[in-house]
Amino acid sequence: MTIELSRRDLLRYSAIGIGGAALLGLAGCAPATTPNAPATGGTATDFAFGSWGLSEDATKPTLQAAVDSFAASKDVKVTGVTYPYNDYLNQLTLQVRGGQFSGAAQLDVAWLSALAALGKLSDLSSFTSGRGYTDAALGAGKFDGTQYGLPWTIGAIGLIANQELFDKAGASVAPTTIEEFEEGLRALKGIGVIPYAASTKAAQLKDIFVWMQTFGSPIIEGDKTSIGDEASIKAVEWYKKLYDEGLIAPDVDRAGARTLFAQAATALYDDAPVGVAPVVSQSPDSGLADKMVPMARPVLKAGDASQNVLWGHLVVVVDGEGSGTAAEFAQWLTSDEKQTVSYFEALGLPPTTDAALASDAVAANTFVSDFTSRVTSTATPSPLWVYPGYAQMETAVAEQVQAVLIGQSSAADAMKSAGATVAGLIG
Amino acid sequence: MTAVDARALANASSAPRTPLRRKGRIRWGMWITLVVIGLFAFAPIYWLLVTSLTPTNQVFTFPPRIWPEQITFEHYVEVLGNPAIFGYLRNSVIVSIITALLSVVVSMYMGYAFSKYRFLGRKSLMYFVLSSQMFPQALLLVTLYLVFAQFGLLNTYLALIISFTTFTLPLCVWMLKGFFDALPDDLIEAARIDGAGPWRIFHSVILPLAAPGLIASGLFAFVRGWNDFIFALTLAGPDKQTLPPGLVNTFISEASTSWPALMAASLLVSVPVCVAFILLQRFLVGGITAGAVKG
Repeated sequence: MTIELSRRDLLRYSAIGIGGAALLGLAGCAPATTPNAPATGGTATDFAFGSWGLSEDATKPTLQAAVDSFAASKDVKVTGVTYPYNDYLNQLTLQVRGGQFSGAAQLDVAWLSALAALGKLSDLSSFTSGRGYTDAALGAGKFDGTQYGLPWTIGAIGLIANQELFDKAGASVAPTTIEEFEEGLRALKGIGVIPYAASTKAAQLKDIFVWMQTFGSPIIEGDKTSIGDEASIKAVEWYKKLYDEGLIAPDVDRAGARTLFAQAATALYDDAPVGVAPVVSQSPDSGLADKMVPMARPVLKAGDASQNVLWGHLVVVVDGEGSGTAAEFAQWLTSDEKQTVSYFEALGLPPTTDAALASDAVAANTFVSDFTSRVTSTATPSPLWVYPGYAQMETAVAEQVQAVLIGQSSAADAMKSAGATVAGLIG
Repeated sequence: MTAVDARALANASSAPRTPLRRKGRIRWGMWITLVVIGLFAFAPIYWLLVTSLTPTNQVFTFPPRIWPEQITFEHYVEVLGNPAIFGYLRNSVIVSIITALLSVVVSMYMGYAFSKYRFLGRKSLMYFVLSSQMFPQALLLVTLYLVFAQFGLLNTYLALIISFTTFTLPLCVWMLKGFFDALPDDLIEAARIDGAGPWRIFHSVILPLAAPGLIASGLFAFVRGWNDFIFALTLAGPDKQTLPPGLVNTFISEASTSWPALMAASLLVSVPVCVAFILLQRFLVGGITAGAVKG
């Protein structure tokens, strides 16, 4: 059976449909409104605060209390905008680019270049004077010479050891050189644990960069990459050696390393201070916290500086409505001594001002004090973070390193290939 | 025993396998296959249950236990005591139900038109509609975001409903088209002879017969809206977040994942959907098979 539509009917319905589609298309192509330049200082106004911490069980009560306290003191409304950590940068970028977000936003230190590249961040230089931020912390919030971010908590990703297992194996938790480090790992293997839960999963193999720097590769020199040089090849060959000897395990990422450490299945892993609490909470050993000690990363030759990559959170301000009050909030949240010390007491995240770092609460925390002196003191930002496409560069190198670990490539070929890819991404 | 009996006995023992033995082997094979498939299907759900009842510091104990050494309901208490979870559940129910209804209403007219009408460009239009299924959803995310932003639809239920419906429509249309193809044209002819117009024919004659197909496509659209993560995360604000991004937001943090609580929440929010499926399953099976594409 056929029911015929006349050509007139068909034309009429098609015109309606195509016209509707054209309207939608034009709407989609229309330029977004340009946000106004922020007005710092002046009368307090409502603003938005983007933060992944506002949705996480561990951080939400503390953070919400801080936000409510500031809002009450200024008689403003602070709207929380929250996304899961793993999707946060993409969502915030979409919101900022689409002109849907203005105000203060929490940021991982690694993400600053990506967000700064959108051209919508406020210069917060004037908010740093007289607040007592450490130089290293301020450096983490600078991009292209401009202070876009105020440092909120700054630490590093460093080695964390289980003192009890090290003692049991007769290994030192303070090896100086790579050779001493390897000897310690071999001793740990003898007691039946994974000596070092180093990252071997592609998603987390960016940890290899700090070992490349340990072996002497600068990663980036000027505007060129040094990946593929002798030092980076030696670093990967060394990693492969650890893998073949069973001193590091296959298929380990940060989450897996934390779990292994919590179960006392490994004696050593890489982490930032933020990972300590989750490790302790998932461990059947109630005394694990007392056994965790930060370890200075070994060096290639005695006298070299220990290499560690910076970790931390910043607060940036996106130009637009409420950005003035948002900037005052960012300054208060990151540098008010009472606020930052209470934040540390609640969550164990190191503050970034001299006064807060010297406070009794911080000084009394042995782990944080030791971590700061042995790890954070020598930490530097990753050289790749200056590029908005740094994540792709890390992935390119990680995939090549994994190919070496599973025997699909030699270290030399892999690093030459990775270097070429990174060079292409630098442009 | 006579010679005949002895011959019969000898023949019986050397006879080829009887149909009865073959049936027994087939039945055993079927049961083994069902058990294996059942294990694949239900083992993860069982693990979900076990994890949700395990204390946090025992979740990753090695070797893993089939049943926890200690059972705790603290994670269920934590989930039930979190009002945000009920907000996500409410949003998911609202968005998924409206998506299902909208998808069914639009696709039933489209499917009927494709099935029973003949017009220029009909086949091209059908394949064009189906081809939209080949696009990864994420490809359209930025465009839809900008469009919704222009129309002020961000952080509303409407943004989610429109975007979910966009992706469920093509398959619903094809499913229902196949269903309508199976309905004889004689019904339409008979109704026309009785004096019924096209609208009357469709609503009074065709639709009642198409109920299983409508329910099947509605359930498909419902599940699609229920499970979507990336669009719900991007287009909905904090008040309108549905379960997938809501659960991730709540239980997966920068440094850790609350696996037991996440498992408990996942089980609890699955209960309404499971009940709905159990009640409607006979329509679902009938609808899917009856609406199979016939080309």
